[in-house]
Amino acid sequence: MKYAILPCNGLDKAAGQGSREVALWLVESGHGELVCPVLVNNSPDRYAPVLGELPLLVIDGCATQCATKLANRLGRKIARKLQVTEEAKRMGATLGKSLRMGQDGLALASTLAALVVEQTDVVGRPSSEEVAQADYVHVQEQIEVAHDKFLFKVPVSGYLFNENDVWVQVSADGRRARIGVSDFVQQQLTDISFVGLPTIGAEVEQFGDVGYVESAKATLELVSPVSGRVVAVNSALVDAPETVNAEPYDKGWVAELELKDVAADRDLLIDGPAYASVIEKKASEYS
Amino acid sequence: MSENTFMGVPREKVSWFPTIDYQKCNYCMECDKFCPHHVFERREAEERKLVVANPNNCVVFCRACAKTCGPDAISFPEKPAIVAMIKRIREEGQAAP
Repeated sequence: MKYAILPCNGLDKAAGQGSREVALWLVESGHGELVCPVLVNNSPDRYAPVLGELPLLVIDGCATQCATKLANRLGRKIARKLQVTEEAKRMGATLGKSLRMGQDGLALASTLAALVVEQTDVVGRPSSEEVAQADYVHVQEQIEVAHDKFLFKVPVSGYLFNENDVWVQVSADGRRARIGVSDFVQQQLTDISFVGLPTIGAEVEQFGDVGYVESAKATLELVSPVSGRVVAVNSALVDAPETVNAEPYDKGWVAELELKDVAADRDLLIDGPAYASVIEKKASEYS
Repeated sequence: MSENTFMGVPREKVSWFPTIDYQKCNYCMECDKFCPHHVFERREAEERKLVVANPNNCVVFCRACAKTCGPDAISFPEKPAIVAMIKRIREEGQAAP
């Protein structure tokens, strides 16, 4: 798959230089077209053809996310993201303080670029819909928690929650479960612009990380309500992250897990009515 | 019983809160601007111009402030240790007469 590749190209941190090197590596190895952040900021039309034709890969150096913010400001949908600092941490690598890339930094950049290429097949392919369809009932009756101008909905039954606003719905056969974020969270975040899907095959502990959702307001890590292995992801959210806003409990599901020990996990989960009480308290604290 | 709880455990017994690495922090204050729970406090007159003043306000397992930190100066405890701590406290609570 080819991308339109937008690095932050930040000059004030080694990670910014790392973003540039990853981008150059990908372009030179035939995996996309470079979008210069400075030029696209000044002359968006210059890159209109490539941005119109190819999915957008954003490479941020650090958590300031300048490239992501730029893409959002230009109204461009992000298909894929990479953050150099986070990836380096995950790999146990250090970027150093020098603003010029040394041999270690360049090696890390090429490793990250190779990772993008390697994972493209997984991220780019449609989710295993036949797996993900495994007998999940649509949300039925919902509790409505009113606060100021907001109305937060919570399914009465069929869903369990953790106090980190992530739901789980166990499939009819009890072996798998879908997870997603609650209506409360999607309203707090407002327009969700990107969903970071977990990697298929990843083993997740209860309360471990299982992807993230992002809006202009915040990035929220999904705290997994259950332990298990990721067997499917909702790749429809790559093109339409706003589905999480529209249908958080149905089409906005994020991942499907093969359950490891749901009986034990249940001890630390709460049902719909209990979660409604939790968000009532949270909503009052926010105001 | 504490009013502020997480999964039935009094919040002050769960040691989940951010730690600032002052070697890295550049006092951009993005974390403080973001956090709606007032975990951080600014101390303009002091050398450390930002401190974790209200650790128990921090939402357990939330790391959203660290996601705003360009210099990567904010860290949190390892989650598995905190989960184990919560389970232990819950069990002790159930075992108590």
